[in-house]
Amino acid sequence: MIEEKRSRMATSRAGTRRDRGRAALATAGPGRMAAEYEGTVPYGPRLGVAQYRLANGLRLLLIEDHSAPVAAYHTWFRVGSRHERPGKTGLAHLLEHLMFNEFEGLPAGEFDRRMEQAGAETNAATWVDWTYYYEHVPASQLGMVIELEARRMGKLVLQDALVQSELEVVANERRYRVEDDVDGTVNERLYALAFTRHGYANPTIGWMQDIQGLTADDCARFYRTYYAPNNAVIVVAGHFDELRVVERVTKAYGYLDPVELPVEDKRPEPPQTAVRSETLRRPTATDKVAMGVHGPAMGDVDHAPLTLLCDVLFGGRASRVHRELVRDREIAIEVRGWVSTFEDPGLVEIQLTAREGHSAEELIDAVETELAKVVEAPVTQEEVERAKARAELALVRELETCGGKAEQIGFYDVVLGDPGGAMERLQRYRRVERGDMLRAARRYFGLQPRTVVTVKPGDGTEAGE
Amino acid sequence: MKVHVETSPALPLVTILAGFRGGTVLDPPGKEGLTRIAMRMIRRGTGKRTAMQIESDVDRIGADLGEHAGASSSSVSMDVIRRSLDAGVELLCDVLGAPSFDEAELGKLLREAESEIVEARNNDRGLCVRAFRRTLFEGHPFGRRSSGTIDSLRRITRQDVVDQVGKLVTRDNLVLAFAGDVDADTAARAAERISAALPDRAAAPRVIPDPAPPAGRRLVFVDKPNRTQTQIVIGGLGTSAHDDDHVPLLVASTVLGGTFTSRLMKEVRSKRGWSYGASSSLPVDVCREAFMVWTHPAAADASACVALELDLLEAWRANGVTARELAFAKRYLIRSHAFEVDTPSKRVQRRFATDLFDLPQDYYDRFLRRVEETTLEAANEAIRRRIDTERMVVAITGTFGEIGEAVAAAIPGVKEPAVMAFDQE
Repeated sequence: MIEEKRSRMATSRAGTRRDRGRAALATAGPGRMAAEYEGTVPYGPRLGVAQYRLANGLRLLLIEDHSAPVAAYHTWFRVGSRHERPGKTGLAHLLEHLMFNEFEGLPAGEFDRRMEQAGAETNAATWVDWTYYYEHVPASQLGMVIELEARRMGKLVLQDALVQSELEVVANERRYRVEDDVDGTVNERLYALAFTRHGYANPTIGWMQDIQGLTADDCARFYRTYYAPNNAVIVVAGHFDELRVVERVTKAYGYLDPVELPVEDKRPEPPQTAVRSETLRRPTATDKVAMGVHGPAMGDVDHAPLTLLCDVLFGGRASRVHRELVRDREIAIEVRGWVSTFEDPGLVEIQLTAREGHSAEELIDAVETELAKVVEAPVTQEEVERAKARAELALVRELETCGGKAEQIGFYDVVLGDPGGAMERLQRYRRVERGDMLRAARRYFGLQPRTVVTVKPGDGTEAGE
Repeated sequence: MKVHVETSPALPLVTILAGFRGGTVLDPPGKEGLTRIAMRMIRRGTGKRTAMQIESDVDRIGADLGEHAGASSSSVSMDVIRRSLDAGVELLCDVLGAPSFDEAELGKLLREAESEIVEARNNDRGLCVRAFRRTLFEGHPFGRRSSGTIDSLRRITRQDVVDQVGKLVTRDNLVLAFAGDVDADTAARAAERISAALPDRAAAPRVIPDPAPPAGRRLVFVDKPNRTQTQIVIGGLGTSAHDDDHVPLLVASTVLGGTFTSRLMKEVRSKRGWSYGASSSLPVDVCREAFMVWTHPAAADASACVALELDLLEAWRANGVTARELAFAKRYLIRSHAFEVDTPSKRVQRRFATDLFDLPQDYYDRFLRRVEETTLEAANEAIRRRIDTERMVVAITGTFGEIGEAVAAAIPGVKEPAVMAFDQE
């Protein structure tokens, strides 16, 4: 698909000033870092993502959008928590925190100070497959961001004292997101139960005992192994001149050498053959349930139909499960369903919160009844159209800001290798038919054993099962 | 009727905001939660659509419909794919102009709202903020619980809901805004349709007095078992957007806790690793609002963290901010302002809020200039004048039996802590 777009775009742009500039960048002389232009992917009716690759392997994706004088600069690394070794969980996330501290020639705190002085909003996120860092800046400050980010990719300084202090911050983050948060706890247990071999079993934030044992050496090793130009993608979206940014990025990152990336010790998850369940007791007023069914990878042909099917079941107040459990039977206060957007096969997650006087078991029975219906018979055409319209609205809203565009482009490039993947995904949704959703329902909801985590009100001791 | 329009064809998306002056402050005593229930009822059935038909239609046309009841204003919002704009406007006219207030639907909604109150007990931060506001704004409408209590919800009748919508959703009380792929003429025609759908009657007046500061230091502890971490909010009264020193105080608050390199972040997170987040805020409303500092340290660090925050607040008040800090905060606010106006919906939201909250008409237009003009003297005078560290509220969610005594001891001058169970109404 991308190849077709490339050739079409190349023909239509032949002879423009920009193309001549791209050609010049691509043929820089010996000893000089060059950026090779690899084509442009259309991004909706008005925009396009220009793709470049530096000689050191760094990939650069640029989408000019002059609707506001701002720009988003995202740096995505193809490394997440699934790449961590046993006993070292939380390392990818801890390193993300440390990447805001000290660099050669830049004392701790100076990175943030310069960014804020520029009016930038800066942050980062780590998940199972990837880690990304972003700056949203006034367009006039983009040059400074390029310089600082280039330094951050290769000149991190890791000192024990800083690492120890940041470990405390991460431990507190874990308390905030997991220990003292019922939903966070349930989600963590669900993945830990559902996956027995694959790295998705471990929480991205890490197990508390692992976090507390991480060292500066661990972080340095992880940084040297994965934070390399040939494992990164830079996405720039907003108000800038493409060729000028290519030039600046090429110059700023030219000092970095590619590394030999390790072969991932990937352990495919074996089929789940039996139901797995666990019951926790927490100080919550009502029962909660998290159900998981092993689902498709993001690139699987059934991911789009299953996503739409989940929307028919759980998306919005007109959805089947919401209508049945929340509105008509009044046994739940909240229902959610989601297909994980992971590079490898993940889970279809279902989360339910009971009303007072109703049990987790009632909710599970009710959801299973609804799942059985979509396995038995196709959903209605009206339901399909509603789900498609909701998906379209969600995507358009994501694209309102340059940060939203950069995030979509970076995510799809890292997970699917397609910077225009969001647009392709929209087209795929439009092509989904009822039969596709029935096939997906039978493949994933039919005889697949569930993983179920239940929370009952209590004092925190585990009931176990 | 005021109509604001911000046109941008960049995306096939239109945002519509319909606001009404008046919110949960209009809840009658004993019927807290009424305004929120009233606003939610407008999407629960009309003369020609059942509640489920409304939800199906919203999804079918590619829209998102939201309703909101704040302390001093209420609103309905819609994002809709451009091709469905006409259908979206028709739907808005229907829900705003012809709600049926079906008795059975009201019963369902009230039971749902009760369950939400129970579920909210899982949100430690929400529990803390609520305790803070209830204590700071004691006796003032801002101190009342906008979602109501189980008891107050059970006192609400269909006639209450009809009357409350009647007080708010009227033609002369309407503020409208359109943003996105919609031109001024199209927006004007849509505005006429929406306005014509509303009853032509006077809305209830919105009279909200300035709140009084708390008497002395107060500690309110939300007691919840098995907390490994605490949620802490410390603060007092802030400013009104009409106050001359509002922007200077905002700049000074940015120094204290408005950025990642602020004093709070440096001391609490960077140096000690005590809390993942640490920030200060100064919201605006139709009258003087709160000034708040938020952290969430581990239970073991809670008392030390409270003591540190009080020290930081006292130093901030006694010594003010430095010229260098002020210049940094001003530059940050001025440059980052680009992200307050980078989308049509954000741009129109500012004008919408100006009318809805009776902000000074030039509040947003002059904001950058007022930041630029803020002097060191003005910023420090604003802190001294507005921040009274002897009249502050400290609210904590945590396990009282384990840390309550230590926390109380960390707050000089505090009276007996008020302890409330997390599931107490």
